[in-house]
Amino acid sequence: MLSYRVRDWVTIGLFGALWGVVETTLGSYLNVIFPAFTNTFFKGVILAGIGVAVALTGRFFVPRRGSLLLIGTVTALLKLLSPAGGKIGPVVAIGMQSVMMEAAASMARDPRRWTFVLGGALAVAWNFPHKFLMMGLMYGRNVAEVYWMLVEDGSRMLGLDRSVALLIVAALLGVRLIVGGISGWSAWALGGAVAHRLGRRSQAVTE
Amino acid sequence: MSPFSVRGYLLFTLWGVVLTLVSGGWRLMALLVLELLFGLAWSPAGLRPLRRLRFWVFIATALALGPFLTPQAGLRLDAVSWSRSGMSLGLDMAGRALSLTLAFSVGLSALSLSDLVALFDRLRLRGLGFALGVAMNLLKNLQEMATVTYETIRLRGGLRRPLVALRLFLVTLVSNTLRYGDQIVSAAAVRAFDPNSDGSPARSTVQCPRADVALLCALVASGLLLLALPLP
Repeated sequence: MLSYRVRDWVTIGLFGALWGVVETTLGSYLNVIFPAFTNTFFKGVILAGIGVAVALTGRFFVPRRGSLLLIGTVTALLKLLSPAGGKIGPVVAIGMQSVMMEAAASMARDPRRWTFVLGGALAVAWNFPHKFLMMGLMYGRNVAEVYWMLVEDGSRMLGLDRSVALLIVAALLGVRLIVGGISGWSAWALGGAVAHRLGRRSQAVTE
Repeated sequence: MSPFSVRGYLLFTLWGVVLTLVSGGWRLMALLVLELLFGLAWSPAGLRPLRRLRFWVFIATALALGPFLTPQAGLRLDAVSWSRSGMSLGLDMAGRALSLTLAFSVGLSALSLSDLVALFDRLRLRGLGFALGVAMNLLKNLQEMATVTYETIRLRGGLRRPLVALRLFLVTLVSNTLRYGDQIVSAAAVRAFDPNSDGSPARSTVQCPRADVALLCALVASGLLLLALPLP
């Protein structure tokens, strides 16, 4: 991090704030539309899709190793400092999503479109295991048994085979991967458009 | 005024999380009491989640699920299958969720932006503290920037083509944010701010107030005592 200049830190702060605004403002609206005890699939996909796109756009302007982790850290800290409740889940999700994006973005030396798409897909797909991880953390190991029993009872009640239930789960994961990929693609396009408008040329633009 | 520093509160959160993960039954109840007492004494704002209906719905879900859960027969939705072991399982799950939430909210609600920036400064992460400050100051301006951009696009009839309007909105918002960032960079340069410097010698030394040491001792002692509690 010693190689980071003032401009890099400012840009990290700016994109951390943008992601933070998405999490706090849009998150509150979505909480009203989809209350906490209803299915969180749409809420998670919408929030993660937009948040990931914002963070990856930040990477476009700070093409240095660790910048996505730092953007995620700033966003998580903003979330912690915000007056809204229910912070553990979002903070863990933001942290893990930035780790996923950083891992994918670090695969290539210079920023590349495919790393953005891969990073976006992995980060949004994290929502899937996140739910189980957080439920396991909050409620203990017993919750896994409860989930399995619910799947079994649900498939029995609807007269479906257990494999169909697993197919539905796979489809839910697939939707997340696609949305994340689109977010990564959009972040690359947005970064290019903004750089063009501001007359900036980053390593990413010269590709 | 609180006698503990940021590290004291972070220590409390860590203590609460670790003990929650390894505790169950009566130990969890005792841990909950300790967290509540700490919150009442030194972090009343951290008990705010207890006043929210949504939080209690979340806890009640775990509590309500337990009685229908019989370890031998699985999940039975008829009231006849209520079991005592299922009830205690539900209580355990609800207690765990409550304890983890309290550990986080009580420990972290006492933190302020200046505390965190000072902590990063001492940990020689001056740049991260600076970035956090920039982000915090930008939050209010961002909402204004977004509103102005949206209204401008709307008044010019841009909403008739939603996709083009969305693209315009995003490009304008990010461009304006980066331009705002240029002003901050200039201001920092004028003040000769260097994010890689260690700061003044007094700031860079890590101090440990007596209250934090006392808290650490109390947390270790109570943690050991909790773990030594016999489970019925």
